[in-house]
Amino acid sequence: MMSDFSSRLAMYGPALFEGALTTLWLCTIGMLLGFVLGVVLHLLANGRSRAGVAFTRVYVSFFRGTPMLAQLLLLFYLPSAVGLDVPPMVAAAAALALNTAAYQSQILSSGFSAIPKGQMEAASVFALGRFNTLVHIQLPQVLRLTLPALISELIDVIKVSAVVSVISITDLMRVSQQLVSQTYRPLEVYLVAGVFYLALTSLLSLLGTVLERRWQERN
Amino acid sequence: MHELLSYLPEFANALLVTLGISLAAAWVGLVLGFGLNALRLALPGFGVIYRLYVWLIRGTPFLAQLAVVYFGLPIIGLRLEAVEASILSLALYSGAYFAELFRSAWASVPNGQLEAARVHGISRTLVFWHVQAPQAMAFALPLLGNQVILTIKESAVTSIITVPELTMTAGRIVSTTFSYVLPYALLVLSYWLLTSTVAAVARTLGQRMTRHLRG
Repeated sequence: MMSDFSSRLAMYGPALFEGALTTLWLCTIGMLLGFVLGVVLHLLANGRSRAGVAFTRVYVSFFRGTPMLAQLLLLFYLPSAVGLDVPPMVAAAAALALNTAAYQSQILSSGFSAIPKGQMEAASVFALGRFNTLVHIQLPQVLRLTLPALISELIDVIKVSAVVSVISITDLMRVSQQLVSQTYRPLEVYLVAGVFYLALTSLLSLLGTVLERRWQERN
Repeated sequence: MHELLSYLPEFANALLVTLGISLAAAWVGLVLGFGLNALRLALPGFGVIYRLYVWLIRGTPFLAQLAVVYFGLPIIGLRLEAVEASILSLALYSGAYFAELFRSAWASVPNGQLEAARVHGISRTLVFWHVQAPQAMAFALPLLGNQVILTIKESAVTSIITVPELTMTAGRIVSTTFSYVLPYALLVLSYWLLTSTVAAVARTLGQRMTRHLRG
């Protein structure tokens, strides 16, 4: 019985590992794109344009107030209505990025507000320019201040990414569905898939704790 | 426009299903979370079980949990209807988040109060209900609405196991009418309306119930 299970596990293992890589890859892309978008959203929210402020408010409310699955379906099928054929992978990455950008803009704004005003004044005295100030002065500090929160956001992205399986992306969830239809053993397959997710999220949360502790020691 | 009107009743029905499933699950999850936190405080050994539960639920996607309950449990003889499996999984899922919410609420009450009460010979149970709970609940109240919203959003996933809620209904309309834009646009708007309403209700209730704290 037990050896049966271990031999089946040897069969699930490589497939689920492939799926986990797809999940991780997709989430990393979504997270990075979401970071850039999140910075843009933050700048718009604190900019002079009134339309920009209103837009970010609606954007954040919309993406935080609706399910990821619904956003994904809209994004996947909307372009096909106007004759565009969007590959599932692109739709999934875009949906994840747009979704996490709403959350990341909120995380980042707490980081931006923690930077002393004097630094911005000093930068403008040196005529550093808006873009250079952002990239060389603000972002490195913001990234460090908000990294623990960003890591926990990445964990949320990994969990929420399970729904991309419905547009037939062979992520961890989809691979387990395929294994179930081959083996007819849903309980153990889904439990093992759960262990894979647990490993991903636990490793990341461990990384977050370690980084936070190391920086606290240094300060 | 005519097309929209034709499936509006279906959408309204599905909205009620989404609301029903989510509120039922959030209610059970609230009680479960409260119980888990109370047990953690009452029994020293329960902390390990508590942490294990929270780690398992918060470390895995809801879809995986739903799959275990709906597709997995029949193997060990527990066969549930899609709606039952959905409410059970959503309740187990939100229970972990509610428990953590209550844990942080109880942590917000200074420990000195517990010690002072204990020195005066007041039992732990009385301290729990009459010293900690009133303050902790005032702390937790504004956050509870968020948790209900989270449950509503996660309930969209139950469409995958064919619960006739909003997302499933939109998908069915799409597959019969072959128009994608309107049903899916209506879908996200329905959710947006639902979660915004819950947020507004929670805000109002929260303000009303903590009025005595603001003097």
